[in-house]
Amino acid sequence: MGIKLYKKPDLEKPMMFVGWPGIGNIGIIAVNALKDILRGEEFGEIESWDFFYPRKVFIQNGLLKDLEFPSNKFYHARTEKKDVILFIGEEQPAFGGRMYASGEKAYEMANLVIDVALQFGCQRIYTSGACVSPIHHQMKPRVCAIVSSEELKEEVTRTSNTVLMSELEGRSEGEGVITGLNGLLLGVAKKRGLLGTCLMGEIPDWLSGASFPYPRASRSVLEVFAEILGLQVDLGFLEKIEGQIEEIVESFYAKFPSEMKEEYDQRKSKAPLKPGPITVRAQVFIDDRFKKGGDGGGESPS
Amino acid sequence: MTVLRKGVMAAEKAPVEIYQTPNLDHPSLLIGWQTHELGKLASTVIHFLNERMGGREIAELKPFGFYSFGGIRFKHDLVQIPVSHFWACEKKNLLIFKSDEPEFEYYQFLNTVLERAESHFQAKDVTTLNGTFSFIAHTQPRRILTVFNQNEFKEGLQGYDIEELTWEGPPALSSYLLWIANRRGIPGMSLWVEIPFYLAESEDPQAIKVTLSFLNKRFNLDLDLSEFDLRIRKQHERIARLREENTEINDTIRRLENGLMLNDEEQSKLTKEVHDLLKEEK
Repeated sequence: MGIKLYKKPDLEKPMMFVGWPGIGNIGIIAVNALKDILRGEEFGEIESWDFFYPRKVFIQNGLLKDLEFPSNKFYHARTEKKDVILFIGEEQPAFGGRMYASGEKAYEMANLVIDVALQFGCQRIYTSGACVSPIHHQMKPRVCAIVSSEELKEEVTRTSNTVLMSELEGRSEGEGVITGLNGLLLGVAKKRGLLGTCLMGEIPDWLSGASFPYPRASRSVLEVFAEILGLQVDLGFLEKIEGQIEEIVESFYAKFPSEMKEEYDQRKSKAPLKPGPITVRAQVFIDDRFKKGGDGGGESPS
Repeated sequence: MTVLRKGVMAAEKAPVEIYQTPNLDHPSLLIGWQTHELGKLASTVIHFLNERMGGREIAELKPFGFYSFGGIRFKHDLVQIPVSHFWACEKKNLLIFKSDEPEFEYYQFLNTVLERAESHFQAKDVTTLNGTFSFIAHTQPRRILTVFNQNEFKEGLQGYDIEELTWEGPPALSSYLLWIANRRGIPGMSLWVEIPFYLAESEDPQAIKVTLSFLNKRFNLDLDLSEFDLRIRKQHERIARLREENTEINDTIRRLENGLMLNDEEQSKLTKEVHDLLKEEK
């Protein structure tokens, strides 16, 4: 088990962007889109078999041809100004059907990613995920940040639409937990001397248990990625999936009783400090087809 | 290709305790899983082999890290604890491993089994024993479907009464094991013996006999399998009585015998009736 590199690209102090699945798949969609925008070229992978049970077997005429595992791939790309490494993990190494990694395997996976970052002289790592917030679904999601050192705080808030977690309503202490590898990786990066930032796109609290992605938040995160990299990008390709999800969410919203809708709509002018009864009441209107059997967690700050 | 960092070796984390070193000369390794086995196939085959060939328990794979131990399972009112043991049948040069399926660290578990079988006992090839659900009647013959991890190994086993499996989907633990075995250069095969779905929870002596017949021939075991003829006949008689008493069940089994499919309700009913019958008359 280890890291397999197909080639060693010549990179100068690259930034690394990392995505794993999580609530609304906000981070992984953003990193995947960034990979496509930059036309990232695959150059290595973390061998999967010690982390995951295979998904699929291919047996043909009595001969075992192959097993398919969730992939964990590294890509590299170059912008006008910077070299970039992207890492996309299709699954978090977790037990018992849980979505989020924990324990020794998670720590091991995080260290392998950092091994590659260090080998190529990377000094900055960005992970991303979801920030579960009491916002209205028609509002543009902000990007909430957690950083690994004081010096990054000012820098991160210079980017548009980005706030530190402590600046969010009701979270003045800036405390919470980022569940799974999108959080753990930052801790391991810090321990091994790398600067790290987690950029979390806001998702309305009542939608955090839904099984569909939340691309509006991915767009917010992607805009921040683009600003960090000094890119002018057209994110029009997200419109189709945003439209599809919006249609689904609006169909739930249309079923809210009028007094509930009125209360919920107050979020447009002022977000409540904390999720309240309306969060739970709204979840009732999510069609069963779109509910996932979740294990809680996610990148939800407490 | 570069490997930057190696993980902790499986063997360091999951030691195998070896009680005694058997007198084996590059044996074949037989593996059976007892956690979700169908028709009690693997455990009965292994028990029979050990009993008839004087199998000695020689080693144990320690369970730590592979099972939750958050409590204890029980089945048929009996406490179950995960066990993973190696046996040696020295007379016929067979190494046997019977185990519960691990709950965690599948790769390390399977790799450790193969690593120890290879390094301590010089196992030359591996065969896993499995049952597979089939929509056949108990009165019909059981086919042995096979999967090999190397073409040469497959070619070398022509002439046996086996059929080739073709399948794409979620892998069983035995397929994962064959894949790892191939990476280690160990030839391997899995036997997937058909079990009528309504015998899956009970014993299927016919499938067990078919499996033992294959092993008998392949490894020249010289085993007398006549006791299974008796067990098959008894089971057939019991189900025949049920068919006489219950025309609906009789009709359902006859449709299977004619190659027709059953709906979910019919399947459940047949399974329950037969399972209750065989449980009662144990």
